[in-house]
Amino acid sequence: MNARSQVWALVRLRWTLVRSPYVRIGLLTSAALVPYLGFLALLTRSQIDKDALAAAVGAAPAALLGFGVLAVVAPLTGGVSELVPSDQLVAYPVRPATQFVSSLILAPINLVWFVQILVLTAETGYLTLGSPHLAWAGLTSLLFVLACTCAGQALAWAVTGLCHNRRGRLAMRSTAVVVALAAVLVVRTGHGGDVVDQSFGPTVADALRAGGRGDVGGWLPVTAALALAAVLALWLGVLACRWALRLPPDRGAERTSREVRRRRTPDTAYQALVATDRASVWRAPALRRGALVLAIMPGVAAAGVGLPWKSLVFLPGLVAAGGGLLFGFNAFCLDGSGAVWVASMPHSPGLVARAKARVTGEAVLLGATLAAVIGSMRATGLPTLTQAMAMVSSVLGCSALVVALCLSLAVRKPYRADLNGPRDSVAPPGALVLTSARLVFPAAVVAGILEVAAASPHWWLPVALALGVTLLSSASISRTLRRYDEPLLRSRIVQVVSAG
Amino acid sequence: MEPVLKVQGLVVDFGAVRAVDGFDLSVGAGTSVALIGRNGAGKSTTMRVLGGVLPPSAGSVMVAGADAAKQPSEVRAAVGYCPDVGGLIPRATPWEHLQLAARLRELPAGWEERGRELLERFELAGVADRITAGFSHGMGRRLSVVLAAFHEPRVLLLDEPFDGVDPLGVDATMAVVREARATGTAVLLSTHLLHLAVEACNEAVVLKGGRVVGAAPAAELVGEDGRERYRMLIS
Repeated sequence: MNARSQVWALVRLRWTLVRSPYVRIGLLTSAALVPYLGFLALLTRSQIDKDALAAAVGAAPAALLGFGVLAVVAPLTGGVSELVPSDQLVAYPVRPATQFVSSLILAPINLVWFVQILVLTAETGYLTLGSPHLAWAGLTSLLFVLACTCAGQALAWAVTGLCHNRRGRLAMRSTAVVVALAAVLVVRTGHGGDVVDQSFGPTVADALRAGGRGDVGGWLPVTAALALAAVLALWLGVLACRWALRLPPDRGAERTSREVRRRRTPDTAYQALVATDRASVWRAPALRRGALVLAIMPGVAAAGVGLPWKSLVFLPGLVAAGGGLLFGFNAFCLDGSGAVWVASMPHSPGLVARAKARVTGEAVLLGATLAAVIGSMRATGLPTLTQAMAMVSSVLGCSALVVALCLSLAVRKPYRADLNGPRDSVAPPGALVLTSARLVFPAAVVAGILEVAAASPHWWLPVALALGVTLLSSASISRTLRRYDEPLLRSRIVQVVSAG
Repeated sequence: MEPVLKVQGLVVDFGAVRAVDGFDLSVGAGTSVALIGRNGAGKSTTMRVLGGVLPPSAGSVMVAGADAAKQPSEVRAAVGYCPDVGGLIPRATPWEHLQLAARLRELPAGWEERGRELLERFELAGVADRITAGFSHGMGRRLSVVLAAFHEPRVLLLDEPFDGVDPLGVDATMAVVREARATGTAVLLSTHLLHLAVEACNEAVVLKGGRVVGAAPAAELVGEDGRERYRMLIS
């Protein structure tokens, strides 16, 4: 069986494993929505006013650089996705090319990628407004997306391989620290614009413009280079994947069975559950890495752009949703097969759910607070009282909302997840996309309303709005905790998350 | 004498599938009963109900005088349960499992000594602060038995405790069963390893299709004749 047949077989298997018709419809709708929205953006581009068009065109290099950076960083932070986990395929002769292409297929299945694609489509439309050859620019955009996505996946597989031993992990951590420090330095010294100017962003943007005009000399070299880069990244990706998969798995196991410092026995059952859940989060490589990136990256990006205080109010909403997506919406999976053992002990059933809600809340609140603090490092001047209140309200209100949504999802639709390895995911890819939409949209609406309220002359307005959201969220959390008291529902959750 | 564990007409349905279909059992204090049968016979599902993890669909389950349907917390307090698969929180250490159990079971001060002693006996003291995700299957099984026996329960439920366990681990588990019986604990043990079931228990109950199809003193299942009798019962 060649790699193409194997990929097709795995795609069919994966699709069969999506049992819920709602998830299937959601995935198909999402897949159809992206080209539809892209088409709408192109159709309405001539109606944009002059100033907005100039601003959008000016931001094109930054948008292109942003896509490139995210395409590389996203798989590094979340790990490579696999149609079927490689440990379940060890008995079959699956080719590395199959594994790599299957991870490539899954790369676009996330909300950030969808949004970025829409931004790129719109930017391509604006850069070629009034020009006759939109298709040429479209081809360049397509090759750019392909090259960045392939490069991101190739790098992710290489990092997966490097992290198989201690020296590699140390090297990766050191590199991450250096890159983070460099990012902070660039932001603090106000050189974000210089970085954009020196990047591939302006070159690709010029090629898009040239393509639109039909200027072969300006378009062809860059487009050909992008095609070459895509092919090269694809080839290197297959090599990296082959190398990573050949490494002995026992070296990774050393890390998961490492010795940890013995902690004092907590005073109460609830504290013991919270301590166990916290440890389950921070000892999971994928969750630890995701939490650190989520806490730092959005804030650094916001500071890099130099968002004003008013716009910063929106940031905690998005980061809170990302925090919930880390593990909160499937919080019961933290217990793994131990859920059966925990369920066999005498305690108030609500304790387990309360501990999960608290640890989710801590992660969400920490992420949103850090993003707000780091993001405000380069905001001009001091905020007005209303803006400051709106920031605090956004952090608290959006966090409460996300925790309520997460707990409800965790009780309604749990998934089994190991989370022992750096590539393990908290839920199947399709479920992740739909859940990200379920978390991001409500959080964005609340953050958006608070952003508008930040411009009001009344400092109490954002506080009152956030208080309302928090009260509604608290009521929702109480409702979910009452639902969790139902023994049949609880046993179903235990059966799902502990399935071997 | 009133049995410590008394099950009458237990039924467990998973949607349209009936996993346990009118199961009856009675286990007295200081008695150990082997629950044997083919894969899918309903042994683990029954164990989960007796452990207070799964509510029964119908029937009566009395554990140490508590009704499993109405007093699940009392049932869990009386039971020590070693689940069939895993049963361990993947990123917690054995000692953290003991700490959690001590708090959830509200054990009095001094539980540490009992925990250390059990870990020593099952040769897990050296890995007491290691994350269980990296444990071998046998180590995980041994720790599950430790956690089940930790609070000296009135009912000890061991589901596949010998699966993948080395001979020294088997000996340690056998010793735990013997001691539990000696202190009046009712033991229910499920395994596919007939010779170990016979060694650990004084009675054997054979399950098929979610109901009891045979029961005999464990000694009668010894040797080739015993194995033949067992084969006939489960086929």
